[in-house]
Amino acid sequence: MHKHNMKGWVVPCAIAASTYVKWCIGLGSYSGYGTPPMFGDYEAQRHWMELTIHLPVQQWYRYDIQYWGLDYPPLTAYVSWICGKIGSWIEPSWFGLDTSRGLETPGNKLFMRASVITLDVLIYVPALYAFTRIWHATRSSRTQHAALITLLFHPALLLIDFGHFQYNSVMLGFTLLAINAFAVGFDLVGAVLFVLSLGFKQMSLYYAPAIGAYLLGKCIFLGSKKGLKLFTRLALVTTLSFVILFAPFLPPFSPMSTLAASISRIFPFSRGLFEDKVANFWCFTNVTVLKWRRLFDGKESLLVKGSAVLTALGFFPAVAGLLWGCYKTQSSPPADQQSQASTPTLPLLPYALLTTSMSFFLFSFQVHEKSILLPLLPLTLLLSGASPGEEVFAWGTLGNIVGVFSMWPLLKKDGLGIQYVAMLLFWCRLIGYNPFRVQFNSFVHLFSTVVNMSMILLHLLEMVVTPPARYPDLFPVLNILVSTPVFGLIWLWSIKRGIQVSWAIAGLPRSRTDGKIKLAKDGAHDSDNEPASATDRRPVALGGVRRDAGMRTVSLGYASGQSSGVGGRGLVDPRRRALERMSRRAGSVEVDRVAGER
Amino acid sequence: MQEDKTPEQPKALPWHHPARWLNGSQLVTRSEVDVLLFSTAVKLLLFPSYHSTDFEVHRNWLAITYSLPISQWYYDTTSQWTLDYPPFFAYFEKLLSIPASFIDPQIVDLHNLNYDAWSVVVYQRSTVILSEIVLGTALLRFIRGAVDPSWQRVLSASLFLHPGFLIIDHIHFQYNGFMFGILLWSILMAREGRKLASGLLFAVLLNFKHIYMYLAPAYFVYLLRSHCMSPSGEILPTKFISLANTVILVFGASLGPFILIGQSPQLVSRLFPFTRGLNHAYWAPNAWALVTVMDRVLLQLARRFNVGFVVHQQGVVSTSRGLVGDTTFAVLPTVKPIHTFAITIAFQVMFLVKLWRTPNYKSFLTALTLCGYTSYMFGWHVHEKAILLVLVPLSLLAADDYAHFKTYMIASVSGIFSLFPLLFTPSETLVKIVYSLIWGVMVLRPLQKQVYEFPTTFTWVILEQLENSYLLGFAPLLAFILAFPLVFGGNSQVEFLPLMMTSVYCALGLVWAFIRLGTIYLRQ
Repeated sequence: MHKHNMKGWVVPCAIAASTYVKWCIGLGSYSGYGTPPMFGDYEAQRHWMELTIHLPVQQWYRYDIQYWGLDYPPLTAYVSWICGKIGSWIEPSWFGLDTSRGLETPGNKLFMRASVITLDVLIYVPALYAFTRIWHATRSSRTQHAALITLLFHPALLLIDFGHFQYNSVMLGFTLLAINAFAVGFDLVGAVLFVLSLGFKQMSLYYAPAIGAYLLGKCIFLGSKKGLKLFTRLALVTTLSFVILFAPFLPPFSPMSTLAASISRIFPFSRGLFEDKVANFWCFTNVTVLKWRRLFDGKESLLVKGSAVLTALGFFPAVAGLLWGCYKTQSSPPADQQSQASTPTLPLLPYALLTTSMSFFLFSFQVHEKSILLPLLPLTLLLSGASPGEEVFAWGTLGNIVGVFSMWPLLKKDGLGIQYVAMLLFWCRLIGYNPFRVQFNSFVHLFSTVVNMSMILLHLLEMVVTPPARYPDLFPVLNILVSTPVFGLIWLWSIKRGIQVSWAIAGLPRSRTDGKIKLAKDGAHDSDNEPASATDRRPVALGGVRRDAGMRTVSLGYASGQSSGVGGRGLVDPRRRALERMSRRAGSVEVDRVAGER
Repeated sequence: MQEDKTPEQPKALPWHHPARWLNGSQLVTRSEVDVLLFSTAVKLLLFPSYHSTDFEVHRNWLAITYSLPISQWYYDTTSQWTLDYPPFFAYFEKLLSIPASFIDPQIVDLHNLNYDAWSVVVYQRSTVILSEIVLGTALLRFIRGAVDPSWQRVLSASLFLHPGFLIIDHIHFQYNGFMFGILLWSILMAREGRKLASGLLFAVLLNFKHIYMYLAPAYFVYLLRSHCMSPSGEILPTKFISLANTVILVFGASLGPFILIGQSPQLVSRLFPFTRGLNHAYWAPNAWALVTVMDRVLLQLARRFNVGFVVHQQGVVSTSRGLVGDTTFAVLPTVKPIHTFAITIAFQVMFLVKLWRTPNYKSFLTALTLCGYTSYMFGWHVHEKAILLVLVPLSLLAADDYAHFKTYMIASVSGIFSLFPLLFTPSETLVKIVYSLIWGVMVLRPLQKQVYEFPTTFTWVILEQLENSYLLGFAPLLAFILAFPLVFGGNSQVEFLPLMMTSVYCALGLVWAFIRLGTIYLRQ
């Protein structure tokens, strides 16, 4: 479209096309379709709409817990109430108390699907658009559009939300809005938005350490006086928004036990270490090394503590990186003159989010396979601005594809096989990634090749071979064996990248040479890790590090846009736009990435 | 992102690159593979969508051709959906039924009526996607030899991704992509001057689906004038005989077996059931839709002012519900098949005379479009799906100049909109609307920018304004149709209103586009 001078149409068309694709996925089956007596997530969400509109708030977290009792935080309940009200206005029988259990009429399906799409369009899509405008502000509009398209068609989220049926995009959308708010310096707004995200689905706790560390880091960065002020404000605002969110469950409106009931529903520590088959550390080692459940039979609490410690260790580097980065840059002179908009650690935030959420996914307690969506969001955010050939691109695509693959058993159970194939095909082509390509020029490419091959092989095997009666779960287990190492490596990679970026940030303001030496060292360290021919590797390593560590802070971050002060962006923007217009007139031969949709 | 940097030209690809498998000799550019893959992904997603009775019709034909001997094909009445396509299509179904029997034997069970398990859905929908390769290859060949490949590429992509195909083939369920693929191959052969091949392919197409007879007069005249006669008008007997033999051979291969066992009367009665009414259940937006609505208006006027019209009581109840059956007008004289036939022939003769005088490719293409268009406008019991017969050849003319483009734009918008009622289920509403909108923006915007010309006379300024406001009028119409069930839900007195309004409004555009194209052609 850029080619045909239709720049203004890219964003509306991309959003329309993604909505279309989402709706098409929704035409298919959903979780628990036609499987009485418990059905699945679809029934759970519908049931919550049913119980919130018919029962008083005090009963929400207590009513018939055995049949899909409400176990999400209050915002989900409020949203369910609104949807339920609207739905029962259209057709009361959809949400009759107890009478509507297991309801599967086409009209109800239509309404439920429409509710997901509507919330997605209202929250997640604007958040993505804002992300590309804010975080890629210094990039060309073409890159921004490319990033938006990459994010809009994110296959894992689309398959789970619009196929399997959940409202993850609301939670992710709020988190994304919070990150956007941080980037433009509205920390308090960001904090409220993140509370909303937590209040919609407790799963966004996966992000909490990174967000918390970022905000704390900013307080440190601002110095003792300003920092303390910000800290108190943040604490107040956060507490207040939690209180408002939980207000109907608090004493003036209801007895204290209501709150306790909701808390115990939201954090179910009484359940097992993991459910079904999840591609995380516990399940992986359970299969390969030792049987955790048998080993800790009766000592479940020890296991809980163990998982908590491991998780904390897992996200420690990210948190430390954020805090250390801020501490290092604290005394640098430009910081004082800068507006309070953002800290230099901002570019670190996506990596930190990735590290913490992935560490939660790998090591924490009670993880669902769907939780992989949380690490995939920051990974895709990082991927969105990258171009093929970069390390970020390779890891991002690999992570996304394996993320979708790890949910294959779930999607297969839901009857979403066709959608799975179609979305992977669609997205890979969209971002210009070819999973069939054999590449050996770096570790990540070699690794991707091996993983892709084994995934294809597994799918082929599953088509041909029926698992022996002794091992009915053969294929889900093999799936885990492939997926877990990938997730583990992505976690390690995110830590490595986090360290690189924080080095770059902390090193630069003091002396340029200092930073460069560190980067070069890091580059050398890099190539030690990755077996490749020296001639081949050298330029890539240098280019990669320079671009990844140095330029990345500029591009993903916001620093250069902000460096000229608050008014800077306003001045910079028209000029850049004029330049782009000129280059467009000059007849750029670039190919329209969405040519396929013409 | 990769696309940003890769030039449009095909480059040497490593052996394992899938694009290389797709083209073999590196004839396919990246963006063409994009179109193929994206559209395939979208079509895969549509597998679970609504499918009409045509799905069961085709499944039943698989069962008939698989389990019955050829002599029984046109006699079987186990299902109400009897075989009523010409023999080549029956052979095609026979071919498809063989893999189907391996995948799920129940698909080809004759008595397993209304079978729509996931296996048969996936199988039949996949065959539609696969058979569209014929369309895809034809469109690729159109790009290769085009005068201006970059615009032909847009047109080819627009045809491959046409909302008409998406709605009729991939949701409603038919094999139009395949059929139009054959038609486009035939047109392509005509463009390349290989007229014998063109005639052969068209004869084959006729034996797949006889609705293409609408286009036959243009073929007949064009091949006779440009292939069988020299430019000065002398008949070339060898060419004539070779063409005639080719056509006879094709028909022999198709109809031969049935003629040999003496089934030709049965075949004819199956293929041409002349027992239907003037209009289909939902009036196809053609001239008769306008006449019918005029009849309704006159009836209301007659009632209100007690004018001395002769009101046929039979007609008063006939059209208001719009059911299948005979349409009888209340005020206007009743239309009989012979009338529609005569009007169609009269219009076609005008265009064919023009074609006879200028027997070149462009002229042939326009005459072909107009032949189909005339049949659509004035034919007896036309189905709204037949609009593809107009839109597909018309697309090939769209980038010629602004006059052609504007005609194409009006015809496409109203033609595609007129297909919306085919999908009446609420789930597919968003699908058809959003897809068509995206298609419209992607195809019409760049083409319009390319060929736009300022209107030169005052009349044209006015007409341009009228046309644009007509096109804008589709937005409120759509809003009205979407809001209608919410406001008037359950009121059976007015439930036909959205369909009638769609039909009449689209008919206005289609009739105007017909007049435009006819005038452009005759004045050229």
